[in-house]
Amino acid sequence: MRNLLEFLAKYNHWIIFVLLEVVSAVLLFRYNTYQGSVWFSTANAVAGKVYEWNSAVESFFSLTRVNEELALRNFYLERQVNQLSRLYGELTRDTSFLERSERQLLSQYQLLPAKVVDNSLDKPYNLMTINRGRLDGVKPDMGVACGNGVVGIVYLVADHYSVVMPVLNLKSRISCTIRRRGYVGYLAWYGGDPTVAYVEDIPRHARFRRGDWVETSGYSSIFPPGVLVGKILQVYNSRDGLSYRLKVQLTTDFSNLRDVLVITDSTVAERVKLLDAARDSLRIGADD
Amino acid sequence: MAIDILRRLLLLCVFCVAQALVLNHIHLFGFATPLLYVYMVLSFPMGYPKWAVLLWSFALGLAIDTFSNTPGVASASLTLIGAIQPYFFALFVQRDEPESIRPSVQSLGLMKYSFYVFVLVLLYCVVFFALEMFSFFHWLWWLECVGGSTLLTVLLVLTLESVRKR
Repeated sequence: MRNLLEFLAKYNHWIIFVLLEVVSAVLLFRYNTYQGSVWFSTANAVAGKVYEWNSAVESFFSLTRVNEELALRNFYLERQVNQLSRLYGELTRDTSFLERSERQLLSQYQLLPAKVVDNSLDKPYNLMTINRGRLDGVKPDMGVACGNGVVGIVYLVADHYSVVMPVLNLKSRISCTIRRRGYVGYLAWYGGDPTVAYVEDIPRHARFRRGDWVETSGYSSIFPPGVLVGKILQVYNSRDGLSYRLKVQLTTDFSNLRDVLVITDSTVAERVKLLDAARDSLRIGADD
Repeated sequence: MAIDILRRLLLLCVFCVAQALVLNHIHLFGFATPLLYVYMVLSFPMGYPKWAVLLWSFALGLAIDTFSNTPGVASASLTLIGAIQPYFFALFVQRDEPESIRPSVQSLGLMKYSFYVFVLVLLYCVVFFALEMFSFFHWLWWLECVGGSTLLTVLLVLTLESVRKR
């Protein structure tokens, strides 16, 4: 017993070493799936706050560029609205309809503005932290977009911060379609260049051109239809040769992302519930 | 003792903030990231209690992990460095030197000190990136990360050391 105690006293630091390494290993294997790692990542309140201050300072210095970009976008949209309303007015001689439909669309998709407080581009599994959380009404699986296009999907939620899985993550899958042509595929990213992603599973009989726009399909119930994704750069055959794979230039500039919008769509839950109910009733019907 | 703890706590915070806000965003040539906080573990003096070195290293690693979304990676590898540092440093010290000698350019000389820093930082980078990627599928990428980060970190440590001297 005496010898044992002496041994322990002499080599206490090795015991501490083993203990600490075990703790580290537990952290490593327990939390690296990012499930429930809210307490031990940038979604945690302290780290989130520090990153928020940091990004506040940084965003101040990039305000000029952001302003320019916004002004340009505003100009473009205004022109488009003018053209469309003029065309519509010419066609139907009814000017009140457009206003009504616009208001309906907006009320359907509630948007929550948020700021990006931490972001990465160079890893295979990039994650992004935003300064809105559960108390602001953010829930996992909500869509995140910005003025230039699609950003990602909310992955983890803490009280005041959430972690978003952006398009630039090997695990990210977003349903999208080719504008005005309607063929549906899914958007994936395979590492490397943060400005380029791929659309998979476009059917062989699809007709489209290089330079066509890709937008979200609205099938996934995460994004409303029509959110911009990117422009088709090149077309390849998929590995099994049964479908096309499109190389897409993303419209979102992830390296300079400050302001994003969380789509807190009130109808999503309803739609999902309805679909589940329909599936359930069908299954019951089949059993009978 | 209390002053020593406070000073090291402050140092820990400074390294942590510097790493989170500045150094983590540096990716020279796309792979070399400076991991400057190893400097804190490298600079423990000779007679410092070994268990305290371990606890400090672990705490620093934990703080770094929290800010860079890598739970367990930095803490595991820093604890390893913290365990090796007292023994490794003892190899560089002559018997007639005073008890509480601190690893620095003055006490060891530039060549010896650079070698000391290089070996420990290299070991740290090897373990750190091995744990971070956890596969040797992209072994070339891993080598680039280890090599680039080691060189950059050693360079920064030596710079910091030469600034400290004055």
